Parts: sequence; structure tokens; C-alpha cells
Amino acid sequence: MALNLAQRWRHLPRDSRDTLFLLGVIAWTVLPHVSHLPLWCTALTAVMLLWRTQLAVVNGPLPGRWWLLVVLILAAGLTLWTYRTLLGKEPGVTMAVALMALKTLELRARRDAFVVFFLGFFIILTHFLYSQSLPVAAMMLVSVWGLLTALVLAHMPVGQPGLRQAGLLAMRTALLGAPIMALLFVLFPRFGPLWGMPRDAGPSSGLSNSMRMGSVAEVALDDTVALRVRFRDRVPAPDALYFRGPVLTIFDGREWWPAPAAERSPSELGLQPLGRPLHYEMTLEPQRLSLLPLLETSVTAPVVENHRVSLREGLQWRTDRQPVERLRFDAEAYTAFRHAASATPAELRDALALPPEHNPRTLRWAADLRQQPQWAHADARALAGAVFAHIRSGGYSYTLAPGVYGETNGRAAIDEFWLDRKLGFCEHFAAAFVVVMRAMDVPARVVTGYQGTDWAPVDGFYIVRQSHAHAWAEYWQPGVGWVRADPTAAVAPDRVLRSRNLAPAPGMVAGAIGTMSPALLAELRTAWEATNNRWNQWVLNYARGQQLELLRNLGFAAPSWEDLTLLLIGVLSSLALAGAGWAWWDRRRVDPWVRQMDSLRQALRLLDIDAAPHEPARTMAQRVRERLGTAGEALVEMLHTLERQRYGRMAVRRPDTALTRRFRATARSLRRNRSAAPAV
Amino acid sequence: MSLAAVTPAGFVRRRFRAWWQARLRRSATLLLTQRNIYILPTRAGLLFAATLVTLLIASINYQLNLGYVLTFLLAGSGAVSLQLTHNTLRGLTLHLKPVAPVFAGEAAVLEVVLSSPAGARHGIGLKIESGSGWALTWVDVPAGGQASARVSFVTAARGRHEVPTLSAETRFPLGLFRAWTVWRPAGEVLVYPAPERPPAPLPAARPVPGGTTHSRHLQGSDIEGIRAYRRGDPLKTIFWKKSAKAMQTGGELVSRDTSASAQQELWLDWRACASLPPEQRLSRLAAWVLAAERAHVNYGLTLPGVELPRGQGTVHRRDCLEALALWR
Repeated sequence: MALNLAQRWRHLPRDSRDTLFLLGVIAWTVLPHVSHLPLWCTALTAVMLLWRTQLAVVNGPLPGRWWLLVVLILAAGLTLWTYRTLLGKEPGVTMAVALMALKTLELRARRDAFVVFFLGFFIILTHFLYSQSLPVAAMMLVSVWGLLTALVLAHMPVGQPGLRQAGLLAMRTALLGAPIMALLFVLFPRFGPLWGMPRDAGPSSGLSNSMRMGSVAEVALDDTVALRVRFRDRVPAPDALYFRGPVLTIFDGREWWPAPAAERSPSELGLQPLGRPLHYEMTLEPQRLSLLPLLETSVTAPVVENHRVSLREGLQWRTDRQPVERLRFDAEAYTAFRHAASATPAELRDALALPPEHNPRTLRWAADLRQQPQWAHADARALAGAVFAHIRSGGYSYTLAPGVYGETNGRAAIDEFWLDRKLGFCEHFAAAFVVVMRAMDVPARVVTGYQGTDWAPVDGFYIVRQSHAHAWAEYWQPGVGWVRADPTAAVAPDRVLRSRNLAPAPGMVAGAIGTMSPALLAELRTAWEATNNRWNQWVLNYARGQQLELLRNLGFAAPSWEDLTLLLIGVLSSLALAGAGWAWWDRRRVDPWVRQMDSLRQALRLLDIDAAPHEPARTMAQRVRERLGTAGEALVEMLHTLERQRYGRMAVRRPDTALTRRFRATARSLRRNRSAAPAV
Repeated sequence: MSLAAVTPAGFVRRRFRAWWQARLRRSATLLLTQRNIYILPTRAGLLFAATLVTLLIASINYQLNLGYVLTFLLAGSGAVSLQLTHNTLRGLTLHLKPVAPVFAGEAAVLEVVLSSPAGARHGIGLKIESGSGWALTWVDVPAGGQASARVSFVTAARGRHEVPTLSAETRFPLGLFRAWTVWRPAGEVLVYPAPERPPAPLPAARPVPGGTTHSRHLQGSDIEGIRAYRRGDPLKTIFWKKSAKAMQTGGELVSRDTSASAQQELWLDWRACASLPPEQRLSRLAAWVLAAERAHVNYGLTLPGVELPRGQGTVHRRDCLEALALWR
């Protein structure tokens, strides 16, 4: 069967073969889009490509223009119906793919082929809007290669050139172009966006600006990388690794929201850092929120390229726009610190509010606790301790799949958790803790973010995944300030102390490898992470900061993007000059044998022997003998040697320059002798 | 005449081309160097540049580092293809083989030998520079070897013509640039007059001037040879076997040349077709030469100032046609 197919392939007419190859490349290029495209577009594309394939195999006539027009209108109509617009990323990609498939049905002349190529390059670019990961890059590299091969094939009109040959030629072209690519990539100045684009390129998961029961679990099941951290000097203890995200104060009974937070300077907040700062470098993946999840806690704002970072109430480090691209920056943190001892009344009022007619049993439970004599006059710290003790001993279990709370009665979700089922994870514990504290008149709030890292550093980077997403609590202690309380640590210390995140369900392949050899799986994963990280650091993160650093290393004192442009122009023009110089040299380049003969002829002219340019050494020897007789025997001998060197059995590739020198010297001495001797 | 030729721009272009080509020296062999290769982007190349700009803007706007990689990889490949396209022609040697003579109105075939001292060259197209249309003859030249390409052109006028200017071009490998060269090969093509169609019958043979006048009325058995049929030949003198063969190849009836008629000679004479204008006379004479040659008879040719003695065979045929082509 396979043999049969191979044979048929070999016997296809060239046109059909080239068309099939191009169709294959197009299918490969479009393939990764299938997950983003509406179903109709995938189906339409597949049908059109298969149709064209069939036409190529049977060498049938292409459909008429009316057909194409009908399909085009259909595609545009469906796009409009799906997205309600033809503009923007998703409709644009959909239309581009549909157009590409349509164009193949019209692929007649070379002009049509070019349109397919250019559309192809454009579609390749659109993949990067969704993912710039290493696998996508590798896949698209194959696409570029395929398109270039098809382009080369189109310009080999004679005979039936092999795909392999064309492929090698295309690869050669691309490889020769690679240095130019590298140069431009390194030196081309990176600007901010030229104009606003629909900002739909952000991630679909990650920290969110609200917390509803169960929402953190969704994030925690996502194994993708949220950020990477490299500690400069020392590594903090695992239980100190709290990356602070949104602070949620407003509670409406179902959902937690952040209170409006005014911009504050660190001094206004009265932060008191304790001990030495910890220096680290963070690589932050694209975020859904305009917020930097910094390690607790930062006192100074990190400098982030293209972003303005400001501190808000609640110790949240906000950015002026959503980080839709990967950010890399340096920051410093004090893992030991004290919040300001004073807070605004509004802040505390919000942190005490409880929605009426919600969770009455929990409120009663808290009131009962407060009524107990030993807690009647206790401060916030003591009360928190009492609640912690209850969590430890109250039969609570930590699980990522606790089921849904508040299904029967939406106003009693916390009651159900706190008093009945007692199964939950960080967000349940944090939310219940805050509600209980508020019921006891202690201001409290929920803080979300990430806790812990993957504790084996991959080439120096600690990885924080979405599955490290965490929720904890803070309560207000008069005279001290906000105090962190992590109720999850009370029930599942592993989660916090050893920062063991909850492993999501493994995929099928990973599952199979995992059952055979868990160590192998871990190793594979580590190696993959390392490669991926190198890719991120060297290719995807390469931004203006790195460019300017490069300039600094090259000796620019205060580099700017103008310097970068000048450097790029300088390098390109010196390359162009070098090329022009080479061309000039190449034009003047003469065959060394010809040059040698020129030189010998000049020497003979001293002796008044004229040899024409086309005359070989043997004829020159004859002339010498006629003119000088035995006196010129040495020259004759040398000319014969030269003839042997060039055409003899032991011919050499390059002329013997020593012979040329000796010849010239002999000729000069003969001339001197002749002029000294009286004329005969 | 095409419209372009009558518009002022077309006129200027034609004059410029004529001036430009007159500057070129004719040569039997042309070595392609930087001096005689021109290179410009094609329309596809410009479109490619526009695509690159679009990709770059998209990369900037969406802050896609991989987009930059793609754009710059394509830009690099494009820049390299400039050099590769130029390289495809540079170092190539073009040599024109002697051109076979043709009849006016027929296509003359120029056979150009391309030799490459270095690597293989792909997709080289040859055409007549001034020729209309895009009909390029494509050829690949193997590494260190030769390949030949044939281009043809039609000439209406008889005579000796210089070979028209040729151009060789390539768009290999990516089609973004077109490198070309213009070559005036040193060579001539001889164009015979177009033979009259349909051919008039051969003229009657005339008695040998000064030959024996007494006719030996012998029987037709006294065969001395064969000759082309002439009007008035008795049926019995027709050599049917040979005629059938001759007619198969487009010839005419063949008569037995009895000793009586052998005294007569076939002269293709300018004066025999006095009713025609000169060029048509030449056409008729050319047709007669062909007919006589097909009939395998001896014939002579008389033109004002030229007389070719009787003869037969390829060389004689060539001499006669050449005389007709070059007359006056």
C-alpha cells in the first residue's frame, strides 16, 4: 500500500505534485488554528483543501469564478454571524484561513501562487497571537520552510526537480539569511504598540479580580506557569513565599470584591520592613489583571519596562496597563515586615461589613465563641488563635474537590462549609475565617495570590504555576496593623510549609509515563521546563531592556533607542559597503595563470620581445630563442617548466610565484648585460 | 504596429532601447559578470516587501518577538535571494552556435550554449529581446557543464541579417528579483526568399545553345537520365516508379531524360518570369530551385549579373538560394 502510494507520487505530473505539496504545507500551517476557529471555518477549509487535492490528483478543471464568489460570500457571512463583526483578531484569522483555502481553488498562475505564499506568512504570524511557545515556533518553522520550498519549486520551471532538492535550496537560502535575521532581531529597536489594538491577547486564566466559591479551584487546576523567580543572594523559607495579588474586602454573600483602593506612597502606608531585603528577578507571564503579584512585601516599586507601577491601599502593586506580554524585572522584598499601625476608617468599615441575612448559623457560632468568658475581652490575635484552634481540631479536611456549596440555599454557603461538610481548600477556609472574624467585630479581609513555588529550581529559576494560586486572610490588630493569617496552614500545613501545590489530574500520556516511572516523568518535565525557560529568557523576553543592556556592554554610556537605530544603520551600511568592496574586488579578480602570463610578457618586453596575449608559453619560448639565441636559454627553460606546471601530467592548481620572480630577475639581468655590451 | 510604438513614451522607449543596444558590442561569446547583469525587484518582490512591512507592524503592535523573528527571517532570506539570483547568472558563458539559413517567413532557430564553470544554475530563461510576449525558453545548466537553449524568431525579409539581440533572465530562487542581461551575439542568419506557394510548374528546358541540332529520333529506350516533368512531355516518358516516390515527398512527376531531351537544359531564369515584380520573381525562382532539387535534375540559375552553372545537390541548392537571397 505504502509502496503503491510512493510509486503513484513519483509518477504524478509535476504540476499535480507541486500543488499537492503546497496543499500539504497549507494544511500544516492552518492546523494549529483549529482550536481557535469556529467549527464551520474548519469544516469549510477542510472541504476546500480536499476538493483541491482531488482536482490535483485527477488533474481536473478548477471551479469557475462564480463558485468562488459564492463560497467567499458564504464565508464572510458566517464570520459576520459568528463574531458580529469582520474586524479584530478572531474574525481576521477566520477570514484569512477561509481566504487561503479559497485561493487554492484558484491557483493557476504564478501570481496566484504568490498570493498564497504571502497569505501563508501572514497566517503563520497570527499563530503567535495565541501562543509563542517552543512547539508552535517549531511547527511554524516547518511551515516557513515548506512555503519557501514551494516558492523555489515555482522558480525551477525545467523538468521535474525533486522536492528534496528544492527543500535543500530553500533551507540554504534561509540559513544564509539567518545571520541577517539575528542581527535585525538583536538590534531592531523595540517600540511600544504603534496604536491601540483590541487587547484580546491576554491569558484566559490566572488571578482574577473577584473570588466566588470554587473560582480559585479553577485556577489551581491550571498547570501553566504564572511567573518565574530567581533569587539573587539567598532563598527565603518556603512558608514565606506569599506572592500578593488582589485584596478582596467587599463581600456580597456570594462573591468577594476588592474595595476601591487609592494610590498611596509606601511612606504613607507606613510599612515597616524588618531585616535585610531579598533581591530577586521575576519573569511574569501575561496576566489578566493590571497588577504585579510581588513577593510580600515590597517597599519600593520595581522598574518595569513600558509600565508605570504604583502602590495602592491594601499593598497592591498596580500597573497602568494589563501586562499582555511577558515582563521581566528586578524587585526586592522584605519577607518580615509590619503593616502600618493606622488605617483609614473607610478601610476598616469595609473590612467589617457582612451582608445581612447570610450565613446566620456561622454568625451565631462566632457570637457564641465571643461570648465565652476566656474570649470575651480577648484581642484580635487571641480570637484568631481561637479560630485556628477550632480549624485544627474541628474535623476539617483539605480537598480540592469539596463539591458545590450553597446549592440549595445561596445565602448559607459558608454555613454549609463551616458547620456541616467541613471539606474545602484555601478559598473556603480564608472566606469562612474572614466571615467569622468579622462576626466577632474584628476587621478582616481576603488576600489572593500565589503561595509557594516548585521547589526544585530549574536552572536557577523557581517556577510558580497557576496551580500555586492561593487565598489567605488578614485581620486588623489595633496598634499593630494588618496581620496575615493563613487558615489553610492550620488544616493542611503541607500546602503552605512545603508549598506542595495540588497536582492536577495528569494527562493520558503523562499518566502512562507516571505509572511506569514517576522519576522519569519528573526528569522529562524538568528538562522541558529548562528548555522552555531558556526559550523564554532568550527569545521571547528579549525586549528593550536587554537591547539597552547590550549597548551598555558595547560601551554606550547612556544608551537610548536612537543609539540602537544608529548602530543598526551603521552595521547594515558597513555590511553593504563590505559587499560592495567584495564585488569590486571580485570584478577585478583575474585568473592567477593569466596574471602570471601578463607578468612574463611584461618582462619579455624589456628585452624587446613582443608576445601577443593569446600566445602560450611555448610560443613565447620560441620567440626568446629566435631573439636571444643561447643567451636566453634560462628563460626558455623556465617557460617550458611553466608549460609543464600548467598543462603537464603533474599540473598544479596555482602558478609558481617563485618562477615568476626568477624569470623577471633573469630578464632584467639580460637587459643590463645587453645594454652594457656594445651593439652587435 | 502596436499602440506603444506610436505613443511618445513608446517612441522614447524604443529610441532608448535602440541607443542602448547600439552601445553593446557584438560578441560570439558572452561571459556574464557584474558589468552586464542587471537586477531589479519583480512585482512579487515589491508585494513581498509590503508583506514584510505588514508583518513588522503587526509584530510591533502585538509585541510579538516571534513575529519579529519571522519577519526578519523572511527579510534575511529575501536579501540573500538577491545575491543568489545574481549568482545564478554571474560567471555563466553564453555562446551562439552558427545559425542555419531559413526561408523568409519561417522561424530561424538560434541555439545558445550556456556553460557554467561552477555550480548548477536553475531556471534561466532566454528570449529575443525585442520579441513581443513572454515566451521564454527555460533551461537549467548543470554544475561544470553545458546546456543549450533554442529561441526562434521570424524574419520577413530575405538577405543576410544580423542575429537579433537576446536577453537571458532568471528569478531563481524566490522570484523576488529578476536578474537579466542583454546580449548582441555576433552572428548572422541568411534568409532565403520565401518560395512561391503554390509553386508554379518548372519552366521548359531549352536546347543547349550551340549543341548538336540534328535530333536523333531514337526510341525512348535510349535513356540517359531523368529530369523533372515539363509540359508537353509524352506520357510514355514519365518514369512512374520514380515519380510516385518523388510525389510522396512532395515532388513532381519525373520524366525519363532521353538523349534527345538531354540535349536540353533546365535553366531557372530571371527572364522567364518577367510578368512578376522582382521579389515575387525571386520567390518563384526559389520555389523552382526546390522543385528541381526534389526532382533530382540538373539545373542552372540565371539572375541579372549572376549565373550559376548547372548542377545538383545540397551545395548547389545552397549556392542558388544564397544567390537569390543576396541578389542586389
